[in-house]
Amino acid sequence: MTARLTIPLFLFLAMTASACGSARTERGAQPPPPRPPAVYTVGRTVLGLSGHDRLTLAAPPVTPLAGWLSPVAVPSPDGRYVAYNSWRELREDDPALSWEDQGIAPGDPLARPSIRLHDLNTDSDSVFAAGAFSLAWRGDGAIAYFKGARRDYRAGVRFIGDVFVRESVHAPARRWTQKGDRYVVAGWAGPTLLVYRMRAGEALDLLAFDGPGKRRLLASDAGLVAISPDGTGVLVEHGPETGPPRLDLLAASNGTRLASLDVTTVDPSVGVVGYAGDWQGSFVAAPSAAGVAIFRVAEGRIELAGTLRAPSGVGVAEPRFVGPSRVTGWTSSESGGAFIDCDRVSGRCARTEPLPTARGAQGFPAWRRPVYNPSRPQEGEA
Amino acid sequence: MRIALFAALILCWTVGPASAANGWWTFERNTNLNSTLSWKWTYPPSPVEYTRSWRGGSGTAMDECEIGRGWLPSGWYAQKGHWDHYEGSKVKGRVWWIQDKTCRDGSTRRTELFIHSEETSSNGQSCSSAYDDPFCWERESDYYSNGCIKLARPSPVASFPNDLGAAHTTFHDYGGKAAHGAYDTADANELYVYS
Repeated sequence: MTARLTIPLFLFLAMTASACGSARTERGAQPPPPRPPAVYTVGRTVLGLSGHDRLTLAAPPVTPLAGWLSPVAVPSPDGRYVAYNSWRELREDDPALSWEDQGIAPGDPLARPSIRLHDLNTDSDSVFAAGAFSLAWRGDGAIAYFKGARRDYRAGVRFIGDVFVRESVHAPARRWTQKGDRYVVAGWAGPTLLVYRMRAGEALDLLAFDGPGKRRLLASDAGLVAISPDGTGVLVEHGPETGPPRLDLLAASNGTRLASLDVTTVDPSVGVVGYAGDWQGSFVAAPSAAGVAIFRVAEGRIELAGTLRAPSGVGVAEPRFVGPSRVTGWTSSESGGAFIDCDRVSGRCARTEPLPTARGAQGFPAWRRPVYNPSRPQEGEA
Repeated sequence: MRIALFAALILCWTVGPASAANGWWTFERNTNLNSTLSWKWTYPPSPVEYTRSWRGGSGTAMDECEIGRGWLPSGWYAQKGHWDHYEGSKVKGRVWWIQDKTCRDGSTRRTELFIHSEETSSNGQSCSSAYDDPFCWERESDYYSNGCIKLARPSPVASFPNDLGAAHTTFHDYGGKAAHGAYDTADANELYVYS
């Protein structure tokens, strides 16, 4: 190469490197995007697990038949596993069109739910239970889940099945339900397993199982808000479709009503209280019409302690306490979901969207959902 | 001109040959307590549409993805069956069963969906002293549901209009499928939900 080429080439390379360096410097000067201080999934990626900043699952956690009645992914109590719901579509089902218009006939297989298990020690990811969805880890490592009588979800066919419990990941499964029905496993309250039974019209009953075949109706037409940290209390909500909306605190062991709050007697902005909240100390965070409602549950009483208004009045799902001063949740958006990060002191909430360039996987948008274990007690809790 | 206008107005209520009608439901979402269920029909090949509408309720929240709480997701639905004396644990009497539907998040699926009221399987009312009887239409809040579309009807304790009865009659008179029970084949009568 001659000097006539070398020098301009060198200058070009030097200018290019300088420009790139400048760009990096500019990008490096920008603050990192905000991220909720919790464990969460974005598409197939799990962020925030202790010791694993970023984890890629084999499939995106989704749970179409349970929504957020149950967490989409749950870490095991010993921190070794992440169990999560997956969904494989067997044929396209366009939500804008009717089944008839798409040639979907009654009984056609549409999708297959599965519970998968990611082993953080070996990085293996495998099917734990095919035809299953919704799970709960008990503090001692037992795992409960719902498994359909058939593997596939079929058009016009109720996806009925049973609830199974394994004393450990590799132990044999034991059926706890005596009659097949539509169940969604919600969580453990101490030794009591809480399970939704879904009836016609999506009516939800909360059942309590004390062992195989030992079923009690804990609350009819109710949603599980949260389980007390010691696992003895269960806070449930009743919506306006069955009477004045109210919260009931029930004893997990026998269903005794310990306290009750008529929600129409508190700040009207609370409106209707939803399910899938969180309980920390004496406080419960629950979805409400205005965002998040914080209740104090203690000394046989349920009292409204405050409200957190979400931006633009959007609803907040699965609110979780993070430390003493923050509550996170999420809301749906066109890009698949955004997190809400609230300061309990100021009452203000901000919208955060970690990995905003994340793309969907396997036909699903890049959903952002928290990863958590609603069962109680957990390690360190009485 | 006035005669033509008058004739056009009459068309809205003119009864053509019922057996030739092609009908479908629409549900316009407005609020959980006050939306509009309509039965629309035509007499093919004429494109002229006829409509009858009733107040309907759906859900207790407006997030169509919230299972057991949100109102019905938007889109087209196939109808899976119709009963006059359905004997469910929560849904009874005159009901229309509609297909499961994926909501706007592209993932969550709403299921167990019906058009129904609060009545017994024998189309009566079971009203006790409880604040809210599930098979008695008592007050406006009975328009709330876990997601289904609900129509009012009269009861011994409240004088709501007989919208369920009217919708049922209209369905059968103007293009609704004559068969009762679960449909073996896809039904041409559908439901369109929108806001």
